[in-house]
Amino acid sequence: MPKAAGDAKLLIQSLSKAYAATPTNLKIIDLYVVFAVATAVVQVVYMGVVGSFPFNSFLSGVLSCIGTAVLAVCLRIQVNKDNKEFKDLAPERAFADFVLCNLVLHLVIMNFLG
Amino acid sequence: MAAPRLPVLFLLLALLVVACRGEASGEGPRGRKVLVLVDDLAVRSSHSAFFGSLQARGLDLEFRLADDPKLSLHRYGQYLYDGLVLFAPSTPRFGGSVDQNAVLEFIDAGHDMILAADSSASDLIRGIATECGVDFDEDPEAMVIDHINYASTEVEGDHTLIAGDDLIESDVILGSKKIDAPVLFRGIGHAANPSNSLVLKVLSASPSAYSANPKTKLASPPSLTGSAISLVSVMQARNNARVLISGSLDLFSNRFLKSSVKKAGSKLSHEKAGNEQFVTETSKWVFHERGHLKAVNVKHHKIGETNEPSMYRINDDLEYSVEIYEWSGTSWKPYVADDVQVQFYMMSPYVLKNMSTDKKGVYSSSFKVPDVYGVFQFKVEYQKLGYTGLSLAKQIPVRPYRHNEYERFITSAYPYYAASFSTMGAFFIFSIAYLYHK
Amino acid sequence: MAEPEPTTAAAAPAPGRLRNAFGGVLCAFTLLLIGVLAFSIRLFSVIKYESVIHEFDPYFNFRVTQFLSKNGIYEFWNWFDDRTWYPLGRVIGGTVYPGLTLTAGSIWWLVNALNIPLSVETVCVFTAPIFSANASWATYLLTKEAKGTGAGLMAAAILAMVPSYISRSVAGSYDNEAVAIFALVFTFYLYLKTLNTGSLFYATLNALSYFYMVCSWGGYTFIINLIPMHVLLCIVTGRYSSRLYIAYAPLVILGTLLAALVPVVGFNAVLTSEHFASFLVFIILHVVAFVYYIKGLLTPRLFKVAMTLVITVGLAVCFAVVAVLVALVASSPTKGWSGRSLSLLDPTYASKYIPIIASVSEHQPPTWPSYFMDINVLAFLVPAGIISCFLPLSDASSFMVLYLVTAVYFSGVMVRLMLVLAPAACILSGIALSSAFDVLTRSMKFQLSKVFNDGSAVSGDSIAEGSTASNDTKGSSTSTVNTNSAKIENRTEKSEKPSKKNRKKDREVTGSVPVKPKKEKRLSVLPLEASVVGTLLLIVLGGFYVVHCVWAAAEAYSAPSIVLTSRSREGLHVFDDFREAYAWLSHNTDVDDKVASWWDYGYQTTAMANRTVIVDNNTWNNTHIATVGTAMSSPEKAAWEIFDSLDVKYVLVVFGGLVGYPSDDINKFLWMVRIGGGEFPHIKEPDYLRDGQYRVDSQATPTMLNCLMYKLCYYRFVETDGKGFDRVRGYEIGKKHFKLTHFEEVFTTHHWMVRIYKLKPQKNRIRGKLKKLKSSSKTSSTLAAGRKKNPWQ
Repeated sequence: MPKAAGDAKLLIQSLSKAYAATPTNLKIIDLYVVFAVATAVVQVVYMGVVGSFPFNSFLSGVLSCIGTAVLAVCLRIQVNKDNKEFKDLAPERAFADFVLCNLVLHLVIMNFLG
Repeated sequence: MAAPRLPVLFLLLALLVVACRGEASGEGPRGRKVLVLVDDLAVRSSHSAFFGSLQARGLDLEFRLADDPKLSLHRYGQYLYDGLVLFAPSTPRFGGSVDQNAVLEFIDAGHDMILAADSSASDLIRGIATECGVDFDEDPEAMVIDHINYASTEVEGDHTLIAGDDLIESDVILGSKKIDAPVLFRGIGHAANPSNSLVLKVLSASPSAYSANPKTKLASPPSLTGSAISLVSVMQARNNARVLISGSLDLFSNRFLKSSVKKAGSKLSHEKAGNEQFVTETSKWVFHERGHLKAVNVKHHKIGETNEPSMYRINDDLEYSVEIYEWSGTSWKPYVADDVQVQFYMMSPYVLKNMSTDKKGVYSSSFKVPDVYGVFQFKVEYQKLGYTGLSLAKQIPVRPYRHNEYERFITSAYPYYAASFSTMGAFFIFSIAYLYHK
Repeated sequence: MAEPEPTTAAAAPAPGRLRNAFGGVLCAFTLLLIGVLAFSIRLFSVIKYESVIHEFDPYFNFRVTQFLSKNGIYEFWNWFDDRTWYPLGRVIGGTVYPGLTLTAGSIWWLVNALNIPLSVETVCVFTAPIFSANASWATYLLTKEAKGTGAGLMAAAILAMVPSYISRSVAGSYDNEAVAIFALVFTFYLYLKTLNTGSLFYATLNALSYFYMVCSWGGYTFIINLIPMHVLLCIVTGRYSSRLYIAYAPLVILGTLLAALVPVVGFNAVLTSEHFASFLVFIILHVVAFVYYIKGLLTPRLFKVAMTLVITVGLAVCFAVVAVLVALVASSPTKGWSGRSLSLLDPTYASKYIPIIASVSEHQPPTWPSYFMDINVLAFLVPAGIISCFLPLSDASSFMVLYLVTAVYFSGVMVRLMLVLAPAACILSGIALSSAFDVLTRSMKFQLSKVFNDGSAVSGDSIAEGSTASNDTKGSSTSTVNTNSAKIENRTEKSEKPSKKNRKKDREVTGSVPVKPKKEKRLSVLPLEASVVGTLLLIVLGGFYVVHCVWAAAEAYSAPSIVLTSRSREGLHVFDDFREAYAWLSHNTDVDDKVASWWDYGYQTTAMANRTVIVDNNTWNNTHIATVGTAMSSPEKAAWEIFDSLDVKYVLVVFGGLVGYPSDDINKFLWMVRIGGGEFPHIKEPDYLRDGQYRVDSQATPTMLNCLMYKLCYYRFVETDGKGFDRVRGYEIGKKHFKLTHFEEVFTTHHWMVRIYKLKPQKNRIRGKLKKLKSSSKTSSTLAAGRKKNPWQ
């Protein structure tokens, strides 16, 4: 156990260290993702309490959060400088795609909400 | 025929006749032209009281011999008569183009008939009766005999003159005034299949009656006995054609109408037999002077609106109304009853409600459309003893909610709305932050 | 490879660009021709017959489109149709896949906005050919993503005329599949495109295209199961990349949301088992992505620790989710699967439990000849294509293989899904043909150049050949015609400036596909003779395929089934009985009259005769169909009562016994019995069979000979030839002379193919019991007739 605890501590330390090295723009994205996921979790809990009556609203609420998070993660993957796969993809282009995707998402959400 | 050389005039006349007809039939449920077929023109005088009462009510009688070779019920596809009185029990065949089928077709075309048989009833008459659901005793010699409820006007006899008082309890058929005196009857009995819902026994024999040949001894038990014997029956066909079948022609005769009656074993003696009242009232019924209902002005609309929609939505509140009138012989009077029901029907009634009436003929009911969509029908099925059947059906589709008719902005969904909008807001904030963070 | 000198490198791009531009134009032109081919090969039906809507379902789609073009999209969305499924009605807007009708509706609207007055029917008739052209272009794109331009063109050309697809998309065959195949292929293309580029833009398009597919066809579940399978395959084989994440995760979220927008799918998009696989894979993908992310952050030792942590957590989560899903699935009676999907997974399911699904001929498993008929030589080329996909295996080509394998399975279960197999088979055959031509032409060139160059620069040339060949395949369709010209072209070019070209090619090759081509080239050099023979054989094969396709398009699949023809010695016979009957109905019956028939003819009756029907081809209510089936298999009186309770006025039966039209109601009758018996147990199948054999001749059972269907079909049949010889069944019917008591014949078409009966009204009077009186009265009336003459004489 102590070894595991030590490992865990070490793990967390190195994780935070490694994470501290990430650029600010990625951190912003991470914050955004965390916010979206948290909102989703809150909604799921709420649904557990109240029941799933306006199911479409619940679905659109939760999926909008998850969708946002997923898209943000995609953006994060694309603009990450360390990622070799997307060297030839300009961050501006990536962001434009991201905005487009979000627009579609929110349009659908609005449609589905009511 | 007034001016055969002037076709124009003839045409005009014809038009006039048609117009008069149209007007007449537009008023009452039935026309007034009745063909009377007799064996023997003597019947005309021997039954003149009955015919007189018919004529007094405005019926236009035309007397013909049953075997008149020029006899015809219709011409150019149009029926010439609106009713038929068949007082020709012994005629073996009709003259002209009329035969059993012609008579039946006449009824199926919605016309009425009074048929009187006799102990000499021919196969033709029996055949017509059978087709109407009434079976006369097969024994051609048989008569109805009742050793208890016979009329004791005759001193001695074979008890075939029956004083019948077992009448159907129906104000519609027999009139609202009770017939106190027994009805004299002499003739053959008949039976009707109890499962036949169209035939009603108006005058039944008493339990002590039986049907046999009065001149011979009973060799075997009679086939028709007791109150299963019907003396006078009426049949209202599904198209509301009415037929009265009597086993006795004498029932209508002046002699029976005028005679006094004393039932055997009864102290009470009546000045006059019940026959007159009986034949008058039943003939009124047969010729649709009573008990004929019509329904008009079927309306339905949503509560709070007046015009009729082509389609309802589930859970709509609606109001259905219909006006029902009864023909009183001279005019249409509001029909008053408390048992008229409306169904909202799709394979089975989803709604079944009594309709309330305002005593002026308007029946109405309001109800909520069930939470089921489909093609419904407003149905009024009103079959009351003695009355013509009302069968109204009106198809109306019921649709589900439209996409924008569902509830919106449900309170319990507010968190979801908030979440959706917050992510949307977050998206903008994020975009700005992301673009300008440097 | 050797680095090119700077000078030549600078000069090289100019001719290269020219060549590419030339290739591009050629490619575009070829594609255009392929589109024209795809369109025109489907016009046989219009030329041979006329411009009409075919079969059954298209009539419904046509009617819906008419409604849409008349009333607009909102009315269509909320359309409650009271003319079918009387008295239940049908919510068309909520039960129909609107993709096809919306497509045709918008085409019609666009065309009319341009002041080209086309009728809705014309637009509907030509929607399918237009979309098959689109589908072949989509195939080109898809195959190009996987295996390059040459294969793409080949596959597009093959798809343009694959009989299986033609069968569902000839002009007039206005059915969902017509646009759905395009949507299917296009969605796959966008998926692969996203996978290859990792662009969110394509991911969005992919979701939208998936939406279109969901709108168009119930077969969209194939996509939403196949793509997760592929993702899983990639993860398992260690091919995870962040592109995979971008290709899949947004698709699931957006796709689910968009699918839920389609009314007919609605919450099914998240509630039925067909979709659960995608969510499961979605979760797994996230776990995997997270693991990769951590891996990137940490040192290997720490990563191990993190791994255990993540895996335990991940497993726990997975178990929780799986448990929830299993609970959900188990709580529903059909285990959350719709009957049609279940019959896909368990081929015997339908025949066991749902006769109504089994009764449809296109839901039967196909026979081997039908494979040959529908995909022809492709069946032999497909294995080659699979092999070619494995050299080298990329994400895209593995997807192709997976697609093919699943499609083969599904097509084996249901004939209808042969349609899904067709694009897969075309793509893989295209790949196979293209690489075969590639190898053959290359070795030919190699051998030829050896002859020409006298082996002076063998090594250099071999490389050059390879690269030019690969260029050729990119530039032209590698079609058979081009081989010769390519050879010549090559030769001349080579003689002009071999060195420059070589180097330029070298650089290109090394730039785009490193190392591999060289190895391949070395391996795949064949002797000249063999390669020439091989090429010729392939050309013959292709020719055979084309001939077969054209034959199939012209003869086998063009019949509209609403008009039938037969050839005899006297010439062409046209049987237009169906339209005759429907026209009779629409002109001679009341607008609100209800017409009962077996459900096959429901759509046509509503669309062509505009009369209310009891059941139609949208078989959503089994009980209702069973009621009609029961009525048809009951004796006359019981049938009359059933029909009367449904307010039916007319009964329509299709009878082929006079002209030998085999798919008539007598042949379908056993299904009516089965379906009716499924709901109403007093109808028993064995009652209609004599020793397990279905027959209507004198050996038939009394139940069979007294049922309504028999009576309505064979009423007065004996009057035609005096014997009552049924030309479909090939024998004389069992009961020849009989009367109908509750029905009366009102119309029979020219060839007796459609017979319409009217329900007699209830008897006006009820007869008394005495029977003999009637006969005696009859005699008396004849006597009377006899006697009547006397007075006149």
